[in-house]
Amino acid sequence: MSQGLKRLGLLPRNICVAILVAYRAVISPLYGDVCRYYPSCSAYALQAIQQHGVVRGIWLGARRILRCHPWAAGGVDDIPEPRERLATNRAGFVLAHKEQ
Amino acid sequence: MDIFALLMWPIKWVIEAILVGFHWIVTALGGDPGSGLTWVLSIVGLVLVIRSAMIPLTVRQIVSSRKSLEIQPEIQRIQKKYRGKKDQFSREAMQRETMEAYRKAGTNPFASCLPLLIQMPIFLGLVQVLTDANNQKAGVGLLTQDLAVLFSESTLFGVVPLHMTMAAGFETGSIPVIVTAILLTLIMCATQFYTQLQIMTKNQTPAMKESPMYKQQRILLYIIPVFLLISAWLFPLGTMFYWLVSNVYTLVQQLIIISKLPTPGSEAALAREARMARKRQRMGLPPVDAEEAESAAEVELRTQRQQPRGKKPKSKREGS
Repeated sequence: MSQGLKRLGLLPRNICVAILVAYRAVISPLYGDVCRYYPSCSAYALQAIQQHGVVRGIWLGARRILRCHPWAAGGVDDIPEPRERLATNRAGFVLAHKEQ
Repeated sequence: MDIFALLMWPIKWVIEAILVGFHWIVTALGGDPGSGLTWVLSIVGLVLVIRSAMIPLTVRQIVSSRKSLEIQPEIQRIQKKYRGKKDQFSREAMQRETMEAYRKAGTNPFASCLPLLIQMPIFLGLVQVLTDANNQKAGVGLLTQDLAVLFSESTLFGVVPLHMTMAAGFETGSIPVIVTAILLTLIMCATQFYTQLQIMTKNQTPAMKESPMYKQQRILLYIIPVFLLISAWLFPLGTMFYWLVSNVYTLVQQLIIISKLPTPGSEAALAREARMARKRQRMGLPPVDAEEAESAAEVELRTQRQQPRGKKPKSKREGS
């Protein structure tokens, strides 16, 4: 019951995850590797939404995209560590339990 | 939605100003203000202005990718460390180390996400401007009601209205519109395909060709035409022209980059070195200019450093 509720609560972020996964599979490869960071902007946004939810995830992702310009140094740039990481399945969807 | 409109306003204003400016110039040069050709030329002008404004971004990227040549030994060391390890975690660790190495050296071979992203709102803005003009609505700035009416009534060669989509062509059964849309799609497929092929086969290093991204890119090469067909179906012919000219611009720019400033370590770079060496030989200069060739030779262990008359037999040179 509460598991089902939790899953429902994760629905918005999983919808965003689906969009991002589709983008990463279909559109992103058209351009090849362009991002100056690791993980790339779309991977960063994906993780941010998975772990921080839709609102904070989009905010973090947008700020990252603004940081990714030709004058940026680049390098490794991970998402802020969440209090607890939620588990994700292989497709990238967020599951209703914590990461093992 | 209102915030969105507010964000698009300046973009649309600039697009309109450039379009109207070129429309004025073409008309002043004797073009018919109501003809589709005049509007197509205005769209060509728009592409030229926007893409030229982005040249600094491209140049900046090329310069920094050349600079990243200097830390190539370090990158090669990392690649060696992870050679043959294809699992996800090793690849991730390798990418992390590579990126960190680039950052430490203060260079980066990647273009960043900006040049791509910047084009999306521009294209969206153009679609909105053309849609409004098509509905005979005045734009946000210099595109007046009169000009909008002029645009919505303009046709290419008297038979192909610029505001129609391929879908509208089928609806009204207008053969010229359908033929034009299909022709545009074909040309776009050809240019996109050729550009992509050039980048992939000539301007990528062997290491890049090994990445899983590369394989995905190959597959997508064959999906692009489907995308373009769908967009031809949905977007007005005017925007198709924008896209087409933009593609041609990219193609020409890419060919120039491949011949003048290729990615270090790629096939194109080797070809360029060979060309330079031949040129020097023709001019009777010593075979290589010291510094640059040396670092290049370090990267690709056997490049075209001394071309034809090595003392060793050919088999030995290629052997090791």
